[in-house]
Amino acid sequence: MDTISTWIAALLTLAIFSFLYRENPIYRFAEHLLVGVSAGYYLVQYFYSAVYKKLWVPVFQEGQWALLPGGILGLLLLLRLHRRTAWLSRYAIAFYVAAWSGYLIPSILQAQVLTQMRGTVVGPYEGTGMWDYLSSWMLLAGVVSILVYFYFSQEHKGVIRGVSKIGITFLMIGFGASFGYTIMGRITLLVGRFQFLFYDWLHLGTR
Amino acid sequence: MNGNERQPGGWIDRLTRIDRRIIFLGVAIAVATPVLVPMGLPVKPTRESIDFFNAIDTLQAGDVIVFSFDYGADVRAELDPMSVAIWQHCFEKDLRIVALTLYPDGVGIAEQVMGPIAEQFGKEYGVDYVFLGYNADWSGTMLRMGESFRKTYPVDQYGRSTAEIPLLDHADRFADTPLLISLASSAYAEWWVTYVGGKFGQKIVTGNTAIQAVLIYPFYQSGQVLGFLGGLKGASEYEALTGRPGAATRGMDSQSTGHVLMVLFILLGNLAYFAPRRRRGSSGTGRTA
Repeated sequence: MDTISTWIAALLTLAIFSFLYRENPIYRFAEHLLVGVSAGYYLVQYFYSAVYKKLWVPVFQEGQWALLPGGILGLLLLLRLHRRTAWLSRYAIAFYVAAWSGYLIPSILQAQVLTQMRGTVVGPYEGTGMWDYLSSWMLLAGVVSILVYFYFSQEHKGVIRGVSKIGITFLMIGFGASFGYTIMGRITLLVGRFQFLFYDWLHLGTR
Repeated sequence: MNGNERQPGGWIDRLTRIDRRIIFLGVAIAVATPVLVPMGLPVKPTRESIDFFNAIDTLQAGDVIVFSFDYGADVRAELDPMSVAIWQHCFEKDLRIVALTLYPDGVGIAEQVMGPIAEQFGKEYGVDYVFLGYNADWSGTMLRMGESFRKTYPVDQYGRSTAEIPLLDHADRFADTPLLISLASSAYAEWWVTYVGGKFGQKIVTGNTAIQAVLIYPFYQSGQVLGFLGGLKGASEYEALTGRPGAATRGMDSQSTGHVLMVLFILLGNLAYFAPRRRRGSSGTGRTA
């Protein structure tokens, strides 16, 4: 069974690679197969995990009727599919937005705004060596200059223009680093496919 | 492009018209060759990876940690080597693991990682590790696990009641677990930090795809993440720290050759772009405003 699945995976990998030469029916078949299988797999997993395990079993087999209103709100969302009943879905969306905001706003404010601000401001006074101090001051300078770059309430000339130019330099360095990481990620995926083809399929080495 | 701008037939002109398939072939050769003929280039762990390693290495035998497989099949090449190296390290230290996934396709991935390593170290399911499986609604899962793992997951992945799993007698909420590990290919690592790190004070380390790693640096700098591994490089550094070179270490040879080729392409591309402009400037035949 493993041999058959390895052969299928190898042939589908080559079918996808064939796109690099030119668009062709074999590539399109593999692409459509991937989309179809993924959609089917996700649908079954979501239905089993959300509808069956979290609604059907607790409500109708264990009698936890308090969960039923949540199920009804979920059903209301499906009424968007018909023009005359679409308005009913707004109640479910309103409930969802309110609950989500209640969860999200305090958590994000704490973890992604306040703690980050503290890390930026306190950082320059912490460290164990010259590089730590230099790195921390660069961080502070980068944050401040980028904030100035995005300050549009005043024309960028004089000092503001100079600082914003420093800010855009930091931004470019950030984009460059991000692009470098992206290349690394993409090459890794190619390495993974080659390791599979050479080691698992053709047995030309071991992992 | 104006036909007068370049000397037809010049090597720079040919460079700008090179068939993209030749570039693809060059990348394929550069990446495939080290897979077949490993070069054994050295791997030097960075501070982020060392901090990640220490976060696990300083735990006591018997401690229970949470491990979340937050990735799908598309990035297995990046994150599977991390998962394998971390699970080996944890079992070597006799740590116990509560595993879960926030991805529907993470179920199969988790089973393929956990099973062979548990067998290798002679670990027993339900006592040394447990797999809670996939739960729809990731935010609700994170928040509710802070109150009770058993209430969040009444049954494990295999339908067994979590009330009957001995491991969960020792750890039923984040307060009972000294560390949470999330290997993520999306923003889930950030959400673990935002929801669970912020609300429950859970210590967290993350392993991320290379693209996601850039977004974790701010959390590492602020101390919200104790350490992290970025892409295949992070995985190879972890393998170096544990002394078990594996798929990531072998893959880094291909990374290096691939990156050298990319740098070469970027230099040639810039040369092909700027050389005609420079020539126009010196001959005075360029466009004028």
